[in-house]
Amino acid sequence: MIKIGIMSFAHLHAYSYAHCCNSIPEVELTAIWDDNKERGKDASEKYNTKFVESLDDFLSLPLDGVIITSENGNHKWMVEKCAEAGKWILCEKPLATTIEDAVSMVRTCKKAGVGLGIAFPCRFIPAIERAKDYVCSGKLGQVLAISCTNNGTYPGGWFSEVNLSGGGATMDHTVHVVDLLRWMFGKEFEWVYCDLGNQVHKGVFDTDDIGVLQLELEDNIQVSHIASWSRPKSFPTWGDVTMEIVGTKGVLYVDAFNQKLNVYSDAVMKAEWAFWGDNPDLALIEDFVSSIKEKRDPLSTGVDGVRSVEVTVYAYESAKTQKRVKIKRTKI
Amino acid sequence: MNVGILGCGTMGRIHAKCAEKYGLKIVRCYDEIAKVGKSFSKEFRAKVSDSWEELIDDKDVDIVVIATPTPYHYPALERAIKKEKHVFCEKPLCRTLEESRKIVQKAENSTGKVFVGHVVRYFHEFEAIKDQILQGKIGEVGFVKMYRGGASPKGTKNWFQDFEKSGGVTFDCMIHDFDWLRYVFGEVDYVFCQNLIGANRPPLDYSQVTIRMKNGVLGLVIGTWAHAVGFRVKVEVCGSGGLIYYDNMEGPIDVQLRKAESAQGTIVPESPVRYTPYEKEWKEFIDWIEKDKIPRVNVYDGLKAVEIATACLKSAELKQRVKL
Repeated sequence: MIKIGIMSFAHLHAYSYAHCCNSIPEVELTAIWDDNKERGKDASEKYNTKFVESLDDFLSLPLDGVIITSENGNHKWMVEKCAEAGKWILCEKPLATTIEDAVSMVRTCKKAGVGLGIAFPCRFIPAIERAKDYVCSGKLGQVLAISCTNNGTYPGGWFSEVNLSGGGATMDHTVHVVDLLRWMFGKEFEWVYCDLGNQVHKGVFDTDDIGVLQLELEDNIQVSHIASWSRPKSFPTWGDVTMEIVGTKGVLYVDAFNQKLNVYSDAVMKAEWAFWGDNPDLALIEDFVSSIKEKRDPLSTGVDGVRSVEVTVYAYESAKTQKRVKIKRTKI
Repeated sequence: MNVGILGCGTMGRIHAKCAEKYGLKIVRCYDEIAKVGKSFSKEFRAKVSDSWEELIDDKDVDIVVIATPTPYHYPALERAIKKEKHVFCEKPLCRTLEESRKIVQKAENSTGKVFVGHVVRYFHEFEAIKDQILQGKIGEVGFVKMYRGGASPKGTKNWFQDFEKSGGVTFDCMIHDFDWLRYVFGEVDYVFCQNLIGANRPPLDYSQVTIRMKNGVLGLVIGTWAHAVGFRVKVEVCGSGGLIYYDNMEGPIDVQLRKAESAQGTIVPESPVRYTPYEKEWKEFIDWIEKDKIPRVNVYDGLKAVEIATACLKSAELKQRVKL
């Protein structure tokens, strides 16, 4: 039995991960810790596990791995605590809100000899895997340009409080696609230009809700990316992850979550999409469990986490300086 | 009124048909490729002029249609305006900003009417998007994504693929979207563009433009001449209270014909309407000439669209954002 604990249900993804833990036979969701007692207790009841109020007690449990799903700004100290206690770690994205924090977290885990993975479930979407095959097999020829989106709905709460989130939609929705492209192409991002702003939530919160990035991947591949919380409450789903990959031999379009039914229900009075594809979160947790058993890093490693944070941080710098900015990579 | 058609390719034929529909006669035509001019002259029972200059100068010609490759727009416009003819010029107005500015000046001093074919303003779906926005259906607009293109277009002597002549997808195709954004949201503040002109991969071009309007609206415009087949248009408008999405692949009629195996199996999506956007352009153009009713697009709009597209090309070259 692999024993997993979850730290904090501040991030909504925690609920999905808890559900996934419970649906894997060899996994036991052993305990939940949360600085918000009520939230943690509710979750523990929902997922049929125990709530541990003291962090020291939580970390002294015989847990094999811990999933950290706190606010972005709290990832660092939680990762450090878990590493100190020798736990394998799966951390919600983005790894951190600054490059310095992200780098230090990876170094801490290395020193402690624990595995560190970032929750990038999109790597496990079959349509994305298929797209990667097309890229890697050369069937698209030489890739020249890519245009991507990661749109979403405003998640509310701490996501727009910069001290906890590190930024708005650009912070939240840049890293998935950056991680996917780095992984699919085996190339790093070199340049970024970013224009962002609070475009559709004026008066609701202050941070950016849309960022438009123009990036350059190694070998002069030009990439645009929209990171947004532009989906209104009436939208039929939470958002999307899409990529159009333009090669000399063809063009590939992937709309990662476009496996859906159109559902029209009078009970909610809006059109909804019911997703019927494979649950990428489940594959993410399964990989985390395997990484614990095999004493390796999960598929998306701490270094992958750092690289995506770097692109995001430089995107914000570009938005501030209004210039195209060189992305510097920290050696780890 | 009689019409002379300069450039007898795809657009020349479309405009000739529109003009005929409104009772105008096609009397002259000219194409730099004699064969093309000849078959056009048969179809529309128009005389082939000996040269483009002769067509413009012809006393029988009241309206000159310029549907040539972009670099020929300027000399044709200049001559036609000098002769005080009415002109229907395809977009882009001219290939360069300087030429476009000169034409605006000359047009102002002519009794002839100069119309620029920014046809997207006339597409029903784009009228509907604008209408929904103005009705306040999605609150205050903050972001627009526009997507246009498909396979690299086929033109006379492959002129589209000579990016010096056509300006690539950024200048030739996305100018539609730039014009529409300006039409709906006002002037542009600055742009940032990446395209494939520098990569020198004709016939392929793919262009991504970040655009910031002076009123604060942010946009991403994507144009493609990199696809194998088809023509796609997608628009997404995000506001404080909702979202509008349009995709031209969703239409009221779908036809698949079994063709001989050697033939290309291209499927052209079509959304039939009583009056095509091109016919609507002609209706306004004719009403302008006959009744002095001001059309929704003028020669200055043509210049401003060239200005935005030129700024994009400059941005792609400099790899920095360019202020307008």
